[in-house]
Amino acid sequence: MFVLGFHFPASMGNHIPDELVAEKIADVDISDVKEIKLLMGTKERDKEWLSYTNKDTFLFRAMVHYFKEENPEKTQKYMIYMNRYQMSEISKRVDAADDETMKLCHNLDSMEQFRIEVA
Amino acid sequence: MAGAASLRQIAFYGKGGIGKSTTSQNTLAAMSHYFEKNIMIVGCDPKADSTRLILHEKAQDTILSLAAELGTIEDVEMEQARLWGKGLFDQKTPGGWINCAESGGPEPGVGCAGRGVITAINFLEEEGAYDEEGLDFVSYDVLGDVVCGGFAMPIREGKAQEIYIVMSGEMMAMYAANNISKGILKYANTGGVRLAGLICNARMTDKEYDLALELAQRLGTQLIHFVPRNNIVQHAELRRMTVVEYSPFSDQAREYKELARKIVYNDMKVIPTPITMDELEELLLAFGLEDEVDETQVGKAAEA
Repeated sequence: MFVLGFHFPASMGNHIPDELVAEKIADVDISDVKEIKLLMGTKERDKEWLSYTNKDTFLFRAMVHYFKEENPEKTQKYMIYMNRYQMSEISKRVDAADDETMKLCHNLDSMEQFRIEVA
Repeated sequence: MAGAASLRQIAFYGKGGIGKSTTSQNTLAAMSHYFEKNIMIVGCDPKADSTRLILHEKAQDTILSLAAELGTIEDVEMEQARLWGKGLFDQKTPGGWINCAESGGPEPGVGCAGRGVITAINFLEEEGAYDEEGLDFVSYDVLGDVVCGGFAMPIREGKAQEIYIVMSGEMMAMYAANNISKGILKYANTGGVRLAGLICNARMTDKEYDLALELAQRLGTQLIHFVPRNNIVQHAELRRMTVVEYSPFSDQAREYKELARKIVYNDMKVIPTPITMDELEELLLAFGLEDEVDETQVGKAAEA
């Protein structure tokens, strides 16, 4: 079973607890990131920048982890659809109290393409 | 038998027209190119389009057509029936390689395509194609549903052990995925076949991820990957190429690379738990793919 690209052994079944996914990204350093910038859309004229700054959430940590993984040059990165859908899926359970995060999850659930940068 | 102990035999099943051949070739190309896996593709579709993107050809000669042309299957030589991939996938190119065979099928309306599939597989086995030095994967690309027992041949004969169902968030694709799961269930105990995951080849319809995920969970498996729709796949196909070769740094190539990685490392192979037709309809209703039927209106013509 794969969640956010992490492999969980088959013996764990097809429902991986959110806490175990959160453990996988617990060590990511978010201290050097103030803002996540997401470029949403495919057609040039429809592209829109979204900003996300709430550092106290699973979603923020998951996105920073995704951005930093295998990206030593820290360049803009395409977001794999499955990963971002799974980020949103978990975030809607664990960050449910945060309106800003839920609004972003709504965008992430769309069919639009996303690219990620951090500042 | 070189590599036999670790040889994995996988199959891509799914509704006709869902994009099985495109998805399988692009994924296998990524497995070969990025993960250096050596692969044999056995196309099990009479239209013989399971290998064209790897061979850069319209369609290769099928094993059944060669047998018909030469007289009998015994007259067919391995070099005629099994071709080496072109470009990145050639045996002489660094990295993994892919070789290709197509079973072919009978004339439309005549004979049994499933029998053709098994004839082709037996031929390849007898000719030593499965013993090729370094072979890591054999992949079967199988036409349509398994309502026809013929197309369940790779499962029934214990050839394909690990099944990936290509589906989308449309009713008939989900219906077929459930049917294929029933076919796997039927032979799971006798042949050891297992469901290894659903691949959503997205139509980009509303709630498609949620729907595919829900179906995967109900079938007791995983949604292994969601492949977004991207025009670059068609652009590559016009040149008879996979996206991995046509545009290796494209977003879509990254998607196939990720799916390839998951298949290479996948250990989740389950006996599926198919759902009833009522449960499938409830699922479609819950996700808004079907409207609730007003029983009082059933059978009534539209008002003028």
